[in-house]
Amino acid sequence: MMGFLSLLARNRLALAGLVVMVLVVLLALVTPLLPLADPDVTNTGDRFLPPFSEGALLGTDHLGRDLLSRLMWGTRLSLAVGFAAAVIAAVLGAAVGIVAGYYGGRTDNLIMRGVDMLMAFPYILLALAIVAALGPGLLNALIAVAAVNIPFFARNIRGITVGIAHKEFVDAAKLAGMGNGRIILTEILPNVIPVIVIAMSTTVGWMILETAGLSFLGLGSQPPQADLGSMLGEARSALITNPHTSVVPGVMILVIVMAINLLGDGVRDALDPRLRSGALTRPMASTTVRREGPVPEAQGDAVLDLRDLQTQFHVKDRVYRAVGGVSLGVKPGECLGIIGESGSGKSVTALSVMGLVASPPGVITGGAVHYKGQDLVGAPYETLRDLRGREVSYIFQDPLATLHPLYKVGDQLVEAIRVHHRVPDKEARQKALGLLKDVRIPNAESRMDSYPHEMSGGMRQRVGIAMSLANDPEVIIADEPTTALDVTVQAQILSLLDTLRREKRLAIVFITHDFGVVAQLCDRVAVMYAGRIVEEGPTQAVLDAPAHPYTARLIACVPELGEGKRQLHAIPGLPPAVNDLPPGCAFAPRCDKAEPACKRGEIALEGTARRRVRCIHPETELEAAQ
Amino acid sequence: MGSYILKRLVSAIPVLLGITVIVFAIMALIPGDPATAILGSYATPENVEKINRDLGLDKPAVQRYFIWLGNMLQGDFGRSFSLNRPVLDEVLERFGATLALAGTSFVLCAVFGVAAGVVSAARQYGFADKAITFAVLLGISIPSFFLGMMMILIFAVQLRWFPVSGMWPVYGSRDLMTLVQHLTLPAIALAVVATGVVARLSRSAMLEVLRQDFIRTARAKGVPERGVIWRHALRAAMVSIIPVLGIQAGFVLSGAVYIEIVFQWPGVGRMLVDAILTRDILLVQGGVVFVAACYVLFNIVVDVAQSLLDPRIKT
Repeated sequence: MMGFLSLLARNRLALAGLVVMVLVVLLALVTPLLPLADPDVTNTGDRFLPPFSEGALLGTDHLGRDLLSRLMWGTRLSLAVGFAAAVIAAVLGAAVGIVAGYYGGRTDNLIMRGVDMLMAFPYILLALAIVAALGPGLLNALIAVAAVNIPFFARNIRGITVGIAHKEFVDAAKLAGMGNGRIILTEILPNVIPVIVIAMSTTVGWMILETAGLSFLGLGSQPPQADLGSMLGEARSALITNPHTSVVPGVMILVIVMAINLLGDGVRDALDPRLRSGALTRPMASTTVRREGPVPEAQGDAVLDLRDLQTQFHVKDRVYRAVGGVSLGVKPGECLGIIGESGSGKSVTALSVMGLVASPPGVITGGAVHYKGQDLVGAPYETLRDLRGREVSYIFQDPLATLHPLYKVGDQLVEAIRVHHRVPDKEARQKALGLLKDVRIPNAESRMDSYPHEMSGGMRQRVGIAMSLANDPEVIIADEPTTALDVTVQAQILSLLDTLRREKRLAIVFITHDFGVVAQLCDRVAVMYAGRIVEEGPTQAVLDAPAHPYTARLIACVPELGEGKRQLHAIPGLPPAVNDLPPGCAFAPRCDKAEPACKRGEIALEGTARRRVRCIHPETELEAAQ
Repeated sequence: MGSYILKRLVSAIPVLLGITVIVFAIMALIPGDPATAILGSYATPENVEKINRDLGLDKPAVQRYFIWLGNMLQGDFGRSFSLNRPVLDEVLERFGATLALAGTSFVLCAVFGVAAGVVSAARQYGFADKAITFAVLLGISIPSFFLGMMMILIFAVQLRWFPVSGMWPVYGSRDLMTLVQHLTLPAIALAVVATGVVARLSRSAMLEVLRQDFIRTARAKGVPERGVIWRHALRAAMVSIIPVLGIQAGFVLSGAVYIEIVFQWPGVGRMLVDAILTRDILLVQGGVVFVAACYVLFNIVVDVAQSLLDPRIKT
C-alpha cells in the first residue's frame, strides 16, 4: 500500500489531480458553512452582473442569482450525484458480476446475455429511455446513469470472479462445508474489491459528466435547484450576450473531470505492473549508441568483423552487461557458430551488428562492427537501413512470431525485395516465387498467397530463410533458426543453409545452444558465457579437445545416439546475472577447477589467431592440442 | 464471407428483439400515466379512458408488447400524438440529420484519433507525444455541450467563420457547401471526446505491437521506419483498434443529442428530448429502438471489417 502511494506520488500529474480533487471535495463539504448568498434567491434588478462585481465575485445569472454561490452548491450537488451513481452502479454491477461468475453455467449465461443486450445500446440512449419512463428529475437522472453503468461493472467483475472461483482456496472453502453466501462474502469479495475500486475511480468522471449532461438537457435537476449541468443548460440562452454564466459552470465541470481522469490514470498506472517496470516502451528504429573510448581497427580479411563490442541494457539504475567486449570475424563462405546458454549474450551480439537490439533499454557502449571496412556502430540510421536485408540479413528463431501475421508470405517477400530494389511488382513476385522454390517449398505458387498461420513451422522457417536471401546478401546472421523446429525439420533446414552458403559463398553467423547443430554446420565456433567469448577455434578442434571447462561441460551435455547409458552431466548452478558479474572468470562459481586465482582480476582470451581460450587452467594446453 | 455476414445478421435477431423488450419494459412497467401527461388539465376520467383505449393501454402489457412489435415489423411505429404524424416518418426524417452529424464525427474521430495515437506511439516520450497526450486528456475531460457552446462563442460569434446553429440557412440554397459550413462546428464538438478515446487506445495498441518480433523482422529487412510504423505496426494494431471504433460509433450516435441541442441540429436526439418532455411515449420508443437497431447493424459491419482485416479470424 505504501509502495502504491509513493508510486502515485511520483506521478506528478496524478498528484496534481489528487490535490485538485481533494480541494474541490473539501470546498463542496464546507459550502453550507461559508458566508455565501442564498443560491436560489432571485434579484431581477441585478441580472447578468459581470464577474468581479461588488457583492458577486463571479457575477450573477439571468435571474440575478449569485453565481459563486450557485457554483459552489451546484458543484456539491454534481459531486454527490456523480459519486452516488458510481457507488450504486459499482455495488449492483459487482453483485450481478459476482453471482454470474461464481455460479457459472446457466445462471452466468442468462445474466451475461442480458448484460450483452444492455451493452448493445448506445448508453446515453438507454439513459434517455429510463428518464423518459421515470420523468425528468435529478433522482431519476441518477438512477438512469447508475443503471446504464451496471453492465460495465457486471462484465468486469464477472471476469475477475470467474478467475477466482476456480482457485484452490475457494475449493478448499467448499470442501470445508462453507455455504455459497459465506464463500462469496469472505473469499471472493475481498479479492474483487480492489478491482471495483479501480473501475470506480476510472468511471466516476464519466458519471459526473453524464448526470451533468442529463441536467443540461433539462432532464436532471429541476429549477430552482441547480447542479453544474443545469446551470449550463439555463445559461445557454444567454450564451452570446452573457457568456460568463456559461463559462463558470462549464470550466468547473472540466476541472473536476480532468482531475478525476488524471487521478484515475495515475491509479491505473500504479497498479499495472507492466508500466511499473517501464517495459511498455517501444524499441526505436536502431539501437542507441553511446560509445566512450576508442574505435578499434578492423583486423584480418573478414567481411564482418566485430571488435571488442559492448552492448548493455540500462533498466532504471541497473546496468546489464549483456555483451562485454566480444571480438569475432567471419569470412565469405565461412560459417561461424556462436554457442552458449540462454542469457549468454549471443543473440544480443548478433542483433547489435545491425543495430536491432531493442532500445530502450539497449545501448551499444563500445567497440566496433566493421563491415567491408565501414564501422557500423554509430553509422547513420539510413546507412544501417540500407545494409539491413540487402548486405546483411537475419533469420530469427520463431517464424510464427517473426513473420507479420496479417500479410501473405508472398507479399512479405515482395516487400523485402522492393525496399531495396526499384523493380515492378510483377518482377518482384517472380523473384519471390523463385526464392520460395530455392528453399524447397512445395507448391510455391499457391504458397505465395498463404498467411504465416496457415503454414507448418518448418515451412514458415523456410519462408524466413527465403526472405533473408531476397537480396543476395553477403552475410546471414541466423539467430537460433532451428530451435523451435522438430528434429527432422531441423536437419532439413541445416542442410539447406549448408547448400546455400556453398552455392552463394555466403558468410553465415549461426547462433545456437546446441553443439550437435554446430558440429553439423559450422567451420569455426565461439563459445560465449556471461557476455564474453570464453573459447574460440575450428569446430572439430574444439569438439575433440575443449580447452575451457565450460566448453567441456557443454559438450558433455549433448546426448549421443547409440552411446548407451552414458551419464549426462548438467552444469550445476546458473549463469551469473550480468548486472553483477564477479571479478575474474564468470564461470568460476560453477567450475570444479576454480581456484582463488580464477576469481581475481581480468583473465585474457589468449592463444593463436585460430584457437583461443579465456582460462588460466585450461583442460588442454592449446599448443599441445594443435 | 457471405455466409459469415448471414450468420452475424441472424445472430443479431435476438439482440434486436432484446432491445425491443428492454425499451418496452422500461416504458411500460415503470409507473406513470401517459394519458394524464398527454391531457394535462383536461384529464377527466372519461378522457383518460378514451386515450387509454386509443393507445391500447387498457390491454395487458404482454399483449401490448406483441401488438407493438407486430406493428413495427410492418413498418408501423405508431403515431406521435404531440406531432400528430407517424413516428417512423418523423424518425426517418430526423435520423438523416443525425446520421450526417454523427457520421462526420465518426470519420473525424477515426482518422484523427488513429493518426494521433500512431504519431504519439512512434514518438513516445517526445514532444509530439506529450502534446498529444495532454490534448487527449483535455479532450476526454471536456463536456461536449460545453465545448460546443464555447466553439459557437469563438468561431461563430467572435470570428464569424461559421454559422451559429442549424443545419440549413432559413433562406437560401441547400447545397453541399452550406451543409459543410453548418456541419463543421457541431461535428468537431461531437468528435473531440471520441477522438481522445481512440487516440489513447491507438497509442497503447501501437506500443504493444511495436515491441513484437515481426516489427524487428521488418526492420531487419531494411523497411524504412515510416513503413514499419504505418504499414507493419498499424496494420497489426488495427485489430485491437477496430472494436473500439465500433464502441465510439455508438458514442457519437447517442452523444449527438447534446450537440443537437446546443447547435439546434434537427436530429433524432433533439426529437427524443422533446418527446420525453412531452411524454410522447410512442415517439420515444420508436426513436430509441430505431437508433439502437442501427447501432447493432453497424456493429455487424465492424465485425465484418474486423474479419476482413484479420485472416486468423475464422469466418
